[in-house]
Amino acid sequence: MSSLLSRHAESVFWMARYFERTESLGRIIETQTSFQRGRGDDNGWAWIVALYSDEEAFAKAFPEANSENVIRFYMAHTENPGSIQSSIKSARENARALRPMLSIDMWYQLNDFCNRVFAFSNAELAEVRLSRTCDAIKRGCYAQIGVAENTLYHDETWPFFRLGLFLERADQTSRLLDVRFAQQQTGLATDEGHYDHTFWSILLRAASAYHAYRRVHPRHIDPREVARFLIFDPRLPRSIAYCLSEMQAMIELLRRNFGLRNAGPAAERVEAMIEGLQTASNDDNLLQNLHAFNDWVQSSLILLNDELGKAFFGYAKATEASVTLPAPAAISQTQSQSQTQVAR
Amino acid sequence: MATITALKNPSTVAPLDTYNAGQFYCELLGSPDNRNRHLTALWHRLQQLELLHLRERAADAERELFNLGITFTVYSDRTAIDRILPFDVIPRVITAEDWKTLDRGVKQRIKALNLFLWDVYHDRKILKDGLVPEDLVLGNANYRPEMIGYDPPCGTYIHIGGTDVIRDPRGEFFVLEDNGRTPSGVSYVVENRHLMQRAFPDLMHGFAIESVSEYGTQLGDKLIECAPAGVSEPQIALLSPGVFNSAYFEHVFLAREIGIPLVEGRDLFVDDDKVFMKTVSGPKPVHVIYRRINDEFLDPEAFRPDSALGVKGLMRAVRKGNVTLANAVGTGVADDKAVYAYLPRIIKYYLDEHPVLPNVQTNICREKDGLGYTLDNLDKLVVKPVGESGGYGICVGPKATKAEIDLCRNQLKADPSNYISQPMIELSVCPTLTDQGVEPRHVDLRPFAVTGQETWVLPGGLTRVALKRGSIIVNSSQGGGTKDTWVLKEDNA
Repeated sequence: MSSLLSRHAESVFWMARYFERTESLGRIIETQTSFQRGRGDDNGWAWIVALYSDEEAFAKAFPEANSENVIRFYMAHTENPGSIQSSIKSARENARALRPMLSIDMWYQLNDFCNRVFAFSNAELAEVRLSRTCDAIKRGCYAQIGVAENTLYHDETWPFFRLGLFLERADQTSRLLDVRFAQQQTGLATDEGHYDHTFWSILLRAASAYHAYRRVHPRHIDPREVARFLIFDPRLPRSIAYCLSEMQAMIELLRRNFGLRNAGPAAERVEAMIEGLQTASNDDNLLQNLHAFNDWVQSSLILLNDELGKAFFGYAKATEASVTLPAPAAISQTQSQSQTQVAR
Repeated sequence: MATITALKNPSTVAPLDTYNAGQFYCELLGSPDNRNRHLTALWHRLQQLELLHLRERAADAERELFNLGITFTVYSDRTAIDRILPFDVIPRVITAEDWKTLDRGVKQRIKALNLFLWDVYHDRKILKDGLVPEDLVLGNANYRPEMIGYDPPCGTYIHIGGTDVIRDPRGEFFVLEDNGRTPSGVSYVVENRHLMQRAFPDLMHGFAIESVSEYGTQLGDKLIECAPAGVSEPQIALLSPGVFNSAYFEHVFLAREIGIPLVEGRDLFVDDDKVFMKTVSGPKPVHVIYRRINDEFLDPEAFRPDSALGVKGLMRAVRKGNVTLANAVGTGVADDKAVYAYLPRIIKYYLDEHPVLPNVQTNICREKDGLGYTLDNLDKLVVKPVGESGGYGICVGPKATKAEIDLCRNQLKADPSNYISQPMIELSVCPTLTDQGVEPRHVDLRPFAVTGQETWVLPGGLTRVALKRGSIIVNSSQGGGTKDTWVLKEDNA
């Protein structure tokens, strides 16, 4: 019988989510520095705000979506719960609640990383240095996840860590795939942009997937293939399919090795998503329907998060009304809010 | 053995060359009239360290404490600020011989206090025999009627005790205070040692020092001894107020060292007078709770109804014998300032022994002699109201104005039983690294004792040091720091 406290399970799950969120945001911002390279204007940044549906909060904080403001809003604005500083701080608050369960190395690493992130100078946040700064964030998160992998005691705490990590990663990869849509919304890109090879290779690089893609598709960067690679490839650690299969394995681990019986609904939710992915892989117009697909992914992940909460974290049993989602083809256009969701 | 003067090298300035402990007992050198304590080896070693080098290593050590998260947390608005307790790198050393006395003295006091608590919650013999005034105990705010007739396993109320000890200029130990509620600070004892072992292995090399690493296992064993009867594999949990508590690190430390879950009130619930914790696999029974929450917040049903930190129904589970709390509820009546004054009599009454560690001389103003002596010597004494804590209402005679003394006299006469008086205390000093070099700073000592069937005392204890020159206030809230405390296995340092 497991004696892992529900509260600790929830904290380890959210800590991992925040690590991954921090890393992904670093990737997104780095992506923009690549887009911006060689461009003279300063208005290419607004799409990040659109990508995270932060228009309202951003407008309250800053008058204009120029590079300086967007960078500040997402890197160092503690009023923005989705900023890198806020995310890493939330990771640390969860880690603090979890301290008796963490290895000392994990806490040490996190303190070190937090101190670094909160000591970013203006020079480090300037556009010219931003790529390096984002890289430091990424590497900080790698270290964090690596320390966990190598020092955390792999009892039932571990599957919860992995679940948080891959749930957030699936969400973030779907956001990365939605960049073009966000850019179109802010008037930065046109429809033909779908076939813009530079764009799609930047996206691949943002997912650390460029060379892997090259190995599988040596001839050319085909936008359709890039999207399919980032969604369906079972061997790419940041693809949505990979994340789902990892989550499936973790839930199975909880059921089988740790005897947690109430994992059923969460397992079913993941299975439904895997099926949804299969449906989508048959869609010839996937590229055109990409935004709706991403929306479906993000909404489904919110429901999965809730199932995990009800099964393990002591969330109240919600009404059953909202739990059925339509298949990916006929999805509503509402943007997911999970980016600003914080640990309860 | 060489004298200190002979150890000085006239050609260079070493850290301790200008050190002068004045009229105080020095933990390194001994009493003012004989500065030749058996610690010349350590003195010599310190002398060989360069001051600048010492400072660098001290700074490294403090940084490490921060990154390891050995911190207390100060919350303001929504930001959490982690601070380390200032750490002084020059250790405080207790000889093997002195430790024997301390160990015996602490055990004796804990034993007497547990017997006293059992008595006042059962037969009240000591009150009936008139040794301790009845109203002082039964009318005490910390006396808990809920505990009347309750039999704690092993007869132990104070499972974890901290005894505050000071040293006069002759080197005699005195007890300033017994802490029988939720004494804190033991995590620093262990972590300070680990830090010294990493940062100053050269300073420790070759000295046989008692280990402090056993605390967690000792405490865990004692808690298991005190589990409710008939439970074969008791589940212990540490109950913390949560991350917002300034001592949260210590709670984490203890949970890890004992190997038990760190729970908050919201993780527990009581069903059918039994306690359960909420886990990912459902409710799991809990049998022993090391609680770091004060009595009044423990159970909104029994005590403060507005407490969000506690567990509803916990006291019912206690009284049914389904769960053991450590420390028991209601121990506050034994470590009260007024009851403290009676402790030598309490020891004599239950154990028929003299106190191994005497109290600081305390005049009980509710008694005729005590009041008379106090009134005659107001300018020399510290007068303390017994019901207050945190230093409120204290009159420090030697530093008070005439008006303050007159006011104190009037208050004393109006309500003598609310007061005790004590002479001005002189704390011993220890060489301490300061901005001005190595200087004497006042220290106290809090040894920690854990009790189940028997009592075990952690060899060492928390040495708190007042970092301000001349100050005797060692509290961390007022500029106090800590030192590693070495108990020698043999007196060869």
